[in-house]
Amino acid sequence: MRGFHKPISSRQWGLSALLLVGAVALPFVASPFELRLAQQILLFGGLAVAWNLLGGFTTYWSFGHAAFFGLGAFAAGLLGQQLGPEVPVALRLVLGLLFAMAVTLAAAVAVALPVLRLRGIYFAIAMLAFAQILGEVSKTFDVFQGAIGFTLPILKVPGLAKVQLFYFLFLVFLMVCIGLFVVMRRSRLGVGLTCIGQDEDTAAMLGVPTERYKLTAFVISAVLTAVGGVLYSYSLGFMTADTVFRIDISLNLILYSMVGGIGTVAGPIIGAAIMILLTQVVLGDLLDLHMLVTGAVLVAMVTLAPKGLIGLVRDMRRRREETTVEEGAAS
Amino acid sequence: MTGTLFLQTLVDGLILGGIFSLSAVGFSLIFGVLGVVNLSHGIFVLLGAYLGLALKEAWGIDPLMAIPLVFGALFVLGGLVQITLVSGAVRRGSLMSSLLITFGVSLMLRDLIILVFGPDVQSLSSSWLFDTFRIGGVIVDGARASGLIASLLSLGLLSYVLYRSKVGRAMRATAQQDFAAGLCGIDVKKIYAMTFGVSAGFAGVSGIIVGLINPFTPFDDTHWTLNAFVTVVLGGVGSPVGALLGGLMLGGISTFSSQYVGSLYPNVFIFGALLLMLIVRPNGLLGNAYKGSV
Amino acid sequence: MNKQISRRTALGLLGATMTSATALRAMPARAATDGVIRFGGSLGMSGRYAETGLNIRHGYETAIKYINEEKGGVQIAGKTYSLELGIVDDASDPARATTLIQRQVDEGVDFFLGSYGSNVVLPCAGITEAAGKVTVQVGGSADQIFTQGYENIFGFFPRASRAWVTSIEFFKSIEPKPKTVSVMATNSAFSKLNAQAAAAGCKEIGLEVLDVLELPEQVTDSSSALATLRARTPDILITTTVDQNSLVIARQMIATETNVPLLYQFLGPQLPAYRESLGAKADGVVMQLPWDESLEFTDPTFGDTQSYIDYYNATNDRPFSYHTVGASSCITTYIEAMKAAGSVDPLAVRDALDAIDIVTAFGPVNFTEDGDGDPILMGAKIGQVQGGEIKVVYPENLRTAETLYPTPTWAEKG
Repeated sequence: MRGFHKPISSRQWGLSALLLVGAVALPFVASPFELRLAQQILLFGGLAVAWNLLGGFTTYWSFGHAAFFGLGAFAAGLLGQQLGPEVPVALRLVLGLLFAMAVTLAAAVAVALPVLRLRGIYFAIAMLAFAQILGEVSKTFDVFQGAIGFTLPILKVPGLAKVQLFYFLFLVFLMVCIGLFVVMRRSRLGVGLTCIGQDEDTAAMLGVPTERYKLTAFVISAVLTAVGGVLYSYSLGFMTADTVFRIDISLNLILYSMVGGIGTVAGPIIGAAIMILLTQVVLGDLLDLHMLVTGAVLVAMVTLAPKGLIGLVRDMRRRREETTVEEGAAS
Repeated sequence: MTGTLFLQTLVDGLILGGIFSLSAVGFSLIFGVLGVVNLSHGIFVLLGAYLGLALKEAWGIDPLMAIPLVFGALFVLGGLVQITLVSGAVRRGSLMSSLLITFGVSLMLRDLIILVFGPDVQSLSSSWLFDTFRIGGVIVDGARASGLIASLLSLGLLSYVLYRSKVGRAMRATAQQDFAAGLCGIDVKKIYAMTFGVSAGFAGVSGIIVGLINPFTPFDDTHWTLNAFVTVVLGGVGSPVGALLGGLMLGGISTFSSQYVGSLYPNVFIFGALLLMLIVRPNGLLGNAYKGSV
Repeated sequence: MNKQISRRTALGLLGATMTSATALRAMPARAATDGVIRFGGSLGMSGRYAETGLNIRHGYETAIKYINEEKGGVQIAGKTYSLELGIVDDASDPARATTLIQRQVDEGVDFFLGSYGSNVVLPCAGITEAAGKVTVQVGGSADQIFTQGYENIFGFFPRASRAWVTSIEFFKSIEPKPKTVSVMATNSAFSKLNAQAAAAGCKEIGLEVLDVLELPEQVTDSSSALATLRARTPDILITTTVDQNSLVIARQMIATETNVPLLYQFLGPQLPAYRESLGAKADGVVMQLPWDESLEFTDPTFGDTQSYIDYYNATNDRPFSYHTVGASSCITTYIEAMKAAGSVDPLAVRDALDAIDIVTAFGPVNFTEDGDGDPILMGAKIGQVQGGEIKVVYPENLRTAETLYPTPTWAEKG
């Protein structure tokens, strides 16, 4: 069973700490371009981890997380506009974050109640539709200013360049996502969700409160995604509906998880890192054909490593060490 | 006047719906038989339109006359895509990997279209289209009406194949229970490839009709994939009748909401209807719970 | 569950990724050699508006090729420089665009050629502005680009709210006097802003605005809007839609016999593909004409508009558009500003751009204080398709044909 996690060893703590120190030191040695890449990896990696809170444990694969990403960005942006320039930017950001979380919480609960009754592909399509509706609505009604877009104030912290500042904000965001994921996986909730992922009906029969667990995971995932949206829009300084309500954002979260390994902590982050480095560094200079290569890499990865890179490495290692861990087949 | 406007809206909706139906039927079939959500569907539709364009430019073949050729070409392409790329994912039974693979295929094919035809807006024209005509106060757009008729003919043909031929029966059997179908001596792998081919073929045919009505660019594929999603969910999976019903509903919702609510709102209503339908009746109006619903 | 291994694996992988990221940095950046002026920037080469991107790219490439190959580079303050172009594809995605632009900034590119779409242009402008770099672009015209207080960004087109000055004057000049107008737009920034400006301008000169019809961003069916038009037909129908949507609307107007005395399409009819698709039916359609072949201008790089066209056609397969010419003139404008500044320092060039007043193959170039094109000097002319060709019908001093009004019905046009 998945729930029987070994305690985190001192060695793992050590490694994590080392990584964290490296991540904190990076903005003082790396160039702005590398920091922007890192920002994206942190943000979209974090979002992919947030997506895994539900999609990683169960087969409730949301195709519409851009909905919450955009909802958060719009809620915070519109509130910030209402507050006006006399309120300091940092306060506007904090209030915007709280407001975005509250709005998303309400929206996620409202949409989850009907949508979580759907299973498999139907859940996925329903989420896709939800994201499309939000995107259209934000553009259609002028009060939301989605078509024309709006400016977000520039956040300044003395001693830090903008690119460093947002690097740290995205780093904190990722840490929160990781923290929640790890805690959740080790909690009753995580065990319950894993059971749901294996067989929802049996889990319900055995007394797992499936509805409540699914709802909790869905809402936490949504709220985290909204937080990511707020930070992202502030990092850009200007946004329209086309900035945040993008099908490719929804798809990328799944893609990153899939490439790295669904249901793991590091998988989505590694997936994000690989895909972002591939599309924006390795293929960044290509004016055409880069989609072709990306598509080919995608097909190759899914065909050769269906369980993601982590799954691939695990399988290889297992074969080499000849260890037979029957229940190790990560779902 | 209001009566005429209502009739006009209804006719517009039905005509639009017929075209949506044809463009979605392949998606529906793949979903029903293979349980795969084919994200490259929109690209197959576009490939049909571009192939029609190429045939017209190279040999002056009228796009409506090119339909059999386009069907054949896409049948082969679809079959090849299934055998070489998708089959691996389906064997593993993961919905997710098939999604990602078809997404990857769509990226590649789109880039190829851009490479060959460029990103420019293109359009098709045919000398075989009806002229626009009026019945009472209602205007019937000739291009669209021709499109509707071609759609209905194609859907009828597909129904005939599915319900009257041996291959069709094998497809339906595979859709219900691939394992049992295999036990009964059906070559399931072959049926999968056939289904993909037929679906891509019909997508290509619809591409010609779409291209006759509206100009197209290599970036319209998302639009057609999304439309197919909606059509299939509204109507029900895996049957031409379901696709027809779903398409007509989609067309009706589209024209009525833009006529009577506001021309800006059809997308909101379309996706609203999709969401509502999923919640109330996830298997669509016809309610065939094929593999996709598990 | 073998967690120990998986975590180590994961950390290893993460480490490998980070190492490779650092290794990438060690790779030699395309270093700036003396005597080379590098232009950077992004365009949406994949995505719905890739056609415009490709036109603009051809314009940049043509000008740079000409200067390097035919003129042996440019002389600035006694030094000869060759030009180098490094355009990337932003895929209309702000995250990708900002990252790729940042890379060029880091690599020392001083001069940028902008993308289009305010949600890409503005975040990128924030980066180039902060780094003290300059941008001249021929795509974005949203008001926000020029009203954020950015000092280093220049655009060839007048901002959307001012882009209607000539058109409104043109409507005033039409005989017999039109009385009513309807506007058709989609819910994108570009289309909405222009529709608002058009409606406001029409009201000002006493035209009655019957309807402002909005459609979704990708138009596949406009039958209901057209039914409204048939029920309440204006004298002038203005569409502020992008190329593909304009064509969809026009084709459906033909198919449903929706006739208006004057169809004005902001974008679309300028493209050969539009006129090919509609054939004889395109006759009478009116458009904004940021540039036209018939307008002869001198050009400091190419000599004049005609020699530009000749060179372009000799070196490219793709037909040119006004975007192409505008993009080539972006390069010319940069060069002239550098010459005027006697320097290739970005801020000195910026000051020279502020003051620039030249004529290029595209037409006069003169920026307002906010950086957008001067609405009178750089404002669009009005064109009308007549006999399959675009004729300039307004302003009167440039006209190559009289305005045809009211235009024949679709059925009458072959």
